[in-house]
Amino acid sequence: MTQNKTLIEAIRIVVVVLIALAIGFVITALVSKEPVAAYTALLTGPLPKISFENGFAITNINRFGNWMEESTTLILLGLAVAIVFKARQFSLGAEGQMLLGALATAVIALKLALPFPWHMILALAAAMAIGFLWGLLPGLLKAYLAVDEIVSTLMFNVIALQLFDLLLFNWLRDPTAGFVGTVPFPDSAVLPLAISGTRVSWMIFIMLAAVVIVWFLMERTPFGFELKMLGANRKFAEYGGINTKRVIALSMAVSGILAGLAGAHLSMGLLKRLTINLSPGLGFEGIVVALLARNDPRWVLVAGLFYGYLRTGAQIMERSSDVTREVVLIIQAIIILLITAEQLFPRFQQWWGARRNNEAAMERG
Amino acid sequence: MSFEVVLQSIFSAAFIATVIRVSTPLILPAMGGLISELGGAINIALEGVMLAAAFTGVIVSGFAPQWFPGAPEWVYALTGGVAGVLVGMAMGWMIAFFHLELKTDIILTGLAMNILAAGGTVFLMFSLTGDKGSTSTLDSAQLPAVQIPFVNTIPILGTLLNGENGAGYNIMSYIAFVLVAVIWVFLYRMPSGVHLRATGEMPEAAQSVGIDIRRTRYWALVASGFCAALGGLYLSMGYLSIFQANMTAGRGFIALAVVYLGNRNPIGTLIAALIFGTASALGTRLGTMAIPPQFVEMIPPVVTIAALVIYNIRRRARINAAARRFQEQAEAARP
Repeated sequence: MTQNKTLIEAIRIVVVVLIALAIGFVITALVSKEPVAAYTALLTGPLPKISFENGFAITNINRFGNWMEESTTLILLGLAVAIVFKARQFSLGAEGQMLLGALATAVIALKLALPFPWHMILALAAAMAIGFLWGLLPGLLKAYLAVDEIVSTLMFNVIALQLFDLLLFNWLRDPTAGFVGTVPFPDSAVLPLAISGTRVSWMIFIMLAAVVIVWFLMERTPFGFELKMLGANRKFAEYGGINTKRVIALSMAVSGILAGLAGAHLSMGLLKRLTINLSPGLGFEGIVVALLARNDPRWVLVAGLFYGYLRTGAQIMERSSDVTREVVLIIQAIIILLITAEQLFPRFQQWWGARRNNEAAMERG
Repeated sequence: MSFEVVLQSIFSAAFIATVIRVSTPLILPAMGGLISELGGAINIALEGVMLAAAFTGVIVSGFAPQWFPGAPEWVYALTGGVAGVLVGMAMGWMIAFFHLELKTDIILTGLAMNILAAGGTVFLMFSLTGDKGSTSTLDSAQLPAVQIPFVNTIPILGTLLNGENGAGYNIMSYIAFVLVAVIWVFLYRMPSGVHLRATGEMPEAAQSVGIDIRRTRYWALVASGFCAALGGLYLSMGYLSIFQANMTAGRGFIALAVVYLGNRNPIGTLIAALIFGTASALGTRLGTMAIPPQFVEMIPPVVTIAALVIYNIRRRARINAAARRFQEQAEAARP
């Protein structure tokens, strides 16, 4: 029975994604002179090209690298969202936690001088710690004072952005640079490369470890059990003797750790410095990943790779055609709308059934 | 840079004029947020609606001269404004449709609308103008400023009522304040306003007396889109005269918080919006005096969180007091 349900759910998600991609194509066709070429770039762009003409060679490895870079950030953000959604907490704080995570790495990287592994480890730890704290605060407010987490996390995002700008403009900024940003991080605080010729760094291993750890946390620990109970029914969880307040606060704090790591990936892995307007709105991109994955960490990996693929493809499409990469945001919005529409398929069936009945009645009549 | 200079610049008529200018795009969407919030359907998409309306207003008013050549300038501005408002209302309706008919989570639907607006505006802007950053190549119309006659000759009052150069505030600033009054009357003096509040407060009770909850929430979300659209139009056709990618810069989210800071009533919401506007205006002003503006801009979100904390502590105290009273009465009644 459950097996069957999971299968139906999986089919539903695939159908939703296909519908969204189809609508995306229609929109592309409306504005583009060469919609097929544009969409081909979107859907096949991130793949490395393998050629056998001059012996075996792989080209376009940097595109594959872009895909992996994008996906690493998205999977970390997707895990962050999956944890709070599993507990049915609508924390929207990933954006602020990510910004502060990146900020913390810059402070450690630029204001401390340490030898290689320790400098990097300390910077990562700082990002995780500030993410934890920035999730814990709204978590405690929600758990003990019933402060609505949507409003509080949005406000914590605003504060985080102001803190980010404050420190960047007044303390960390490189005054000789032509843009608002810091000097490049010292090598001791940069994540080493995992694939040469790309920007894919050790963060990809940290991300994979995070997937395993979050899965273990959710499926094999008392905390994970409490998290699921809380998400299923708070009153019931309380009757069952679960300290729901502690679980609410911790779920948002643990989520913050992962968002903080995503921020560290931007600064220590991709940019190797801190710049203004780091990546507005990226913190919300974890939501679509978590939704596609139904908050299951294993599927977050798959959904993150899929959505990262789409985002990378969109960048390649933008460079090679007359369509901007923002089409992927439209596709994303349609995916969220359709995937959360529980009544969509029942309604469709109803409508389809009614039509068939009508036709049958007409044939008979 | 003395403290006096700071104080002087704060308590000037020109400063108050600035506050009104920067508060307008918070008051309007906050009124939208208030209506849907009171109807029990939180609208997270204020940000997206503002962005979409701001974009539509500029694009339609910019292309209107091709459709109606030779018409007076105000026709173009009006066409753009009406189109922007319609887009905002359509987005409100879409949220209602997905939430009420297809049973989506209203928060996720709102977020999807924000993403749709952020992506859709840039996507269409590039297709229509060939630019991804702003519509500066397009000659779009402006919403008019309204000047109150005769007061300019009076020194302080002139600046206060007609803005820094005496040219008057944008019409949207007036609409914002009028809207607050209209919504107050609607909520507290009209049956439909009472129905709306009942729907939000206790849907089952409202339904039991024959209020159509579904229809009320549809209208609440459409009205919410209407108000937020006005705020967006002000940004691109009043505050600035172009559309820029992501020009709302989180104002829609702040407007949502403003509703809570304002204790979910129109007057409180207006005051809360003015607090945020004052901090923003102050930040800009202090920025020219070598004081980091971020310090000041951090105050309103901190105040909002503090206000929520105090509100919930007081509510809890009230509930506890009521419970204690009940217990005492019960004990007193025991023989």
